[in-house]
Amino acid sequence: MRATLSVRRFLVLTSALLIAGCNRGPDATARPTVALVVKTLNNQFFVDMEAGAKAAADSLGLELIVQAPEREIDVERQMQIIENLIQRKVRVLMLVPNGSKEIVPAVVKANVARIPVVVVDSRVDDGTLKAAGGTVATFIGSDNEDGGRMAGAYLIERLGRTARVAILEGVPGHETADARLRGFRKALAGSPAMQIVASQPANMERDQAFNVTQNILQAHPDITALFACNDVMALGALEAIAAAGKGTAISVVGFDAQDDARKAITERRMAATIAQNPREMGRLAVLTAHRLIHGESVPAEQPVAISLIR
Amino acid sequence: MISSSTLRRIVRGRESGTTFGLLVLCVGLWIATPYFATAANLSNVAEQSAVIGVIAIGMTFVILTGGIDLSVGSLVALVSVVIGSALQRGVPVFAAVAIGLLAGVVSGALNGLMITRGPLPPFIATLGMMSVARGAALLLSDGRPISGFPDGLRALATGEVFGVPAPVVMMLTLYLLAYLVLTRTVFGRYMYAIGGNEEATVLAGVNVRRWKTVVYAISGLSAGVCAVLLVARLNSAQPIAGIGYELDAIAAVVIGGTSLLGGSGSVIGTLIGALIMSVLRNGLNLLGVSSYLQQVAIGVVIIAAVLIDMALRRRVQRSSR
Repeated sequence: MRATLSVRRFLVLTSALLIAGCNRGPDATARPTVALVVKTLNNQFFVDMEAGAKAAADSLGLELIVQAPEREIDVERQMQIIENLIQRKVRVLMLVPNGSKEIVPAVVKANVARIPVVVVDSRVDDGTLKAAGGTVATFIGSDNEDGGRMAGAYLIERLGRTARVAILEGVPGHETADARLRGFRKALAGSPAMQIVASQPANMERDQAFNVTQNILQAHPDITALFACNDVMALGALEAIAAAGKGTAISVVGFDAQDDARKAITERRMAATIAQNPREMGRLAVLTAHRLIHGESVPAEQPVAISLIR
Repeated sequence: MISSSTLRRIVRGRESGTTFGLLVLCVGLWIATPYFATAANLSNVAEQSAVIGVIAIGMTFVILTGGIDLSVGSLVALVSVVIGSALQRGVPVFAAVAIGLLAGVVSGALNGLMITRGPLPPFIATLGMMSVARGAALLLSDGRPISGFPDGLRALATGEVFGVPAPVVMMLTLYLLAYLVLTRTVFGRYMYAIGGNEEATVLAGVNVRRWKTVVYAISGLSAGVCAVLLVARLNSAQPIAGIGYELDAIAAVVIGGTSLLGGSGSVIGTLIGALIMSVLRNGLNLLGVSSYLQQVAIGVVIIAAVLIDMALRRRVQRSSR
């Protein structure tokens, strides 16, 4: 009996402490509350986005709640978080959807509760959204096509307008990589001496990129530049190039600015990569939320600048 | 064998502990945030608990017999994809759901057969099925989500019965059924008996193999019902759905006071266990607690629940002496 009582006391105390510790009194401050729901917080990209959003919220006097499911693939859990935040009556919902179609019912629920939805980084599927009668206030994110164009322009400048170029494509039909590819090809279209001699998919994977690059090097041992639609493939290509003894003869450009790629650039094994700016996305999202709360109109598309790292 | 009055006392004791925990949590949240104790939020919490709540019914049966079912999360994905592809091929909603549920029952029964007819312990058999079902779901769907379904299916998630969300009605109906099966039928008695002492139950002339297979088939069925709810909620069938649901279901069962050793526990406890997890997650969202701390809090609650369970068991043992 005594044991039971002490266990109960333990539970009561723990819950009380937990609740007291967490509650900063939502109504004690008159500051309007906004919420940012990201894909997961186990990824540096979203942790950076959170940091940008927090800084902006502090300077604008907004209360910011940042939540995410434990797993990036868990759309159901992300939907539950949104449902809960709707009950919390947040003024604006900023969202990086885990599933472009699956999240639509949650967006519609926010619409019904008259909470404006700011979509960040990954788009909500337009057709599904329209069919469900939902709306979003704005999309904030990077233009991947522009990033591809930037990569192309850099290679033109670096190699003096003349090169034999190989491309590692992403998963065929995957919008993000396709847009990067489109931009890159457009950039090169204006310089006829920049000749694309090979363009093959390596499905965003390192080992596939290694094999595909080895094959390309067999057929075209004279290439001087290689563009990969993400850094993971660029790193695989670097290994194949090193294995072929080509060292720095080929300028490799990737996309995403992963840590390993940045390291390869510092070590001069890789030429450049394209960096998105999650911190700026977070900042712009909160700025937009602030404008929405004050009844100002916001543009439907807000591109976030990307930068070249070399 | 245990007498029925002792059994009743154990059951009552366990549920009182869990219910007490739920009440503490609710009162705490009611004090901490004005957004918790609103009709809209409580209905929201109940709806969210349905997803894990439904799988946890089958899991309770399995654990009562002293087993475990790790495959339910993957079965959710498999059944989702089966329903999704059937709908895509123009099969009517009712038939597509029936085919999906059948797939769940068959996979569950296969688990049961591997365990009762073969030498495999439940942990290994269902661990294998976990991988097989996930792979099958990915194969069937080509790894892509299937979406865009008729309104008839969506109604299972969006509909209401006298103002109560349809998923809640579905969950409560299933719990009532499971409660009646466990307390009013011979099959229910067999489950407790198998978990309490399997050999003695075999010697008493009960066809243990058959009933255990049925138990795993029911677990597959409840994963199937969960899949129906999930597909209706997201309007999409995902081959990657349900990852980790087996652990959430086991947690609900354990918080609900059912012993992992088998032979004692109740389905009402499991319902309260599932509610505790949903209320906790809801409350932590409402309070804006960091996502990292939320995982810590859920772990703490599971451990605290088992501590209470053990303390209560000691009390029951002492008082029955």
